[in-house]
Amino acid sequence: MADTQGGSSPSPTTPFLTSHVRWADVWTRAVIWPAWRRASAIWIGCAIVAAVVFGPTGMQPSDLTSLALHHAGVGAALGLTWLLVYAPTARLIVRADAAAYLRSLPGPRLAPLLIGGGAFLVLQLPWLVLWTLGDGLRGLAVFALTQLALLALARFRPPPSRARFPTWDHPASALRSIHLRALRRRAGDALVRGAGLAVLAGAAAGLILRNNGLSGPSAASTGAAIIAVVLVPACAGVLLVILGAHRQTAWLAATLGISPATRATALIFAIAVVQLAASSLALLAAALIAEPSPRTFALLSLVTLGCALGASLGCARALLARPDSPTIAARAVTGAAVTAAAAVLCLSLFGAPGVLAFLAASLLALSTVRP
Amino acid sequence: MISLDRLSVRRGGRTIIDDLSLSLSAGDIVGVVGKNGCGKSTLLSCIAGILPPHSGRITIDGASIWGPRRQRARARRSLGYVPEAADPPGFLLGGELWALCAASRGAPPPSPALRDSLGLDELRPIPLDRMSLGQRRRACLGAALLGPPALLVLDEPDNGLDAKRLDALLALLLSHASDGGACILASHDASLLDQLGARIHALPDRA
Repeated sequence: MADTQGGSSPSPTTPFLTSHVRWADVWTRAVIWPAWRRASAIWIGCAIVAAVVFGPTGMQPSDLTSLALHHAGVGAALGLTWLLVYAPTARLIVRADAAAYLRSLPGPRLAPLLIGGGAFLVLQLPWLVLWTLGDGLRGLAVFALTQLALLALARFRPPPSRARFPTWDHPASALRSIHLRALRRRAGDALVRGAGLAVLAGAAAGLILRNNGLSGPSAASTGAAIIAVVLVPACAGVLLVILGAHRQTAWLAATLGISPATRATALIFAIAVVQLAASSLALLAAALIAEPSPRTFALLSLVTLGCALGASLGCARALLARPDSPTIAARAVTGAAVTAAAAVLCLSLFGAPGVLAFLAASLLALSTVRP
Repeated sequence: MISLDRLSVRRGGRTIIDDLSLSLSAGDIVGVVGKNGCGKSTLLSCIAGILPPHSGRITIDGASIWGPRRQRARARRSLGYVPEAADPPGFLLGGELWALCAASRGAPPPSPALRDSLGLDELRPIPLDRMSLGQRRRACLGAALLGPPALLVLDEPDNGLDAKRLDALLALLLSHASDGGACILASHDASLLDQLGARIHALPDRA
């Protein structure tokens, strides 16, 4: 029978290769590009830390990798950092939830596996470069071992938690709790990545303190300044989730008679929880690596946690100044960076007591905003 | 009990509500009707304390919705609002939304009768962003009715509800009015307003 559709029907002889290339293109745009966007933030974080660790101290990659292999604390901090930092990206590639619809269509099975596998490795370039430059073949073996751990982490799905129903007795405690719930439910990946970067911040600070033999107030101010800077990318993603919760509860709060001051307090509380938790993680990592004296550790903790509180106030100021601005994402990142720069400035001008100046400056900055 | 005194609302340089005066006594149900875009939702969000008026006053039992801080808090705790989109934060569970509203109004959790008529028990552990429009509206109605507040402000509360829940909504609103509460609602459904015995307030077309 003659083909009555003529030239308008799809060609039955579409080249095999073309269809595979098209499929791979769509798959890449659905899965790999989002993963790349996430990984690029890690690469920037790694570049900052590499500049700190390998720049002024003159450390070589081999110094770091051999230290990691011979010092359990350094090895644990370094490995944990990479696992936590890269796990959210690995999850995007391994689970490929964004391509659920594509998977339901009849298409090649091998191409997605090859593309995903390749991207999984290539996006870990900083980790791969560190270990191959630092330790050659043995470094490659370490890299391969971390891949197994990463695959297991990426495939892990936590069991659904049983919902518990709150009985809040005051709107202020309800709002604080709601902001924390938003963090838990909406910022899972950002929190994991932030935890990794926090360990990295502590590791960088610990290495500087250790290599330069710093102790006492100078160790406290130097360590706290490094942690404050490296924590900027750790907290930036989380800030936007907190702001999202703040904006989404706006009409509810308005209609329920919850004051703007109560809302602002809930926002500051959530940011402070994140900053304090990240700083505590960084402190632990720094202590593992630098093995400071109890006095130095106490001073470092005091200054770092003080900086975390000041940073919470500064970041809150950046978010509350114009919460509905269309450029709020950029404002949040800039605010976090400026706050960290202010902390570094205060610590470098006044040493460890500079934390008080930073706290006062942050409080002053926050008081200029009318929630 | 509830009065709107020479209320004007502007949005984007355009006057949406102009010099509107209206009063509701205990037991009153007022239906706000009008064409699309005539300002029904704008009026209700202004009464609910979300959109500030250009001029005029809205008071509940003498306390101004847009007045000084204490008055404002007192007035707003006396009202329950369901917006047109029924869009509270999506990450909250149904039970958490009611807990927030209960804490703010100093009200007990939803009564068994309210839970039963709106089917709230099944919505308690579900995140709001995983609910259908009808389920979200039921969750919001449950939150609005907690207390219960003196004034209900409902923007198209029948949207997305199935026949069973629509009957339940009718019964709840009539019972609210018979218990001395007031209600102002916007709806395109003339038969709903008729069954409620609502006093109709038509907004002029400003297109």
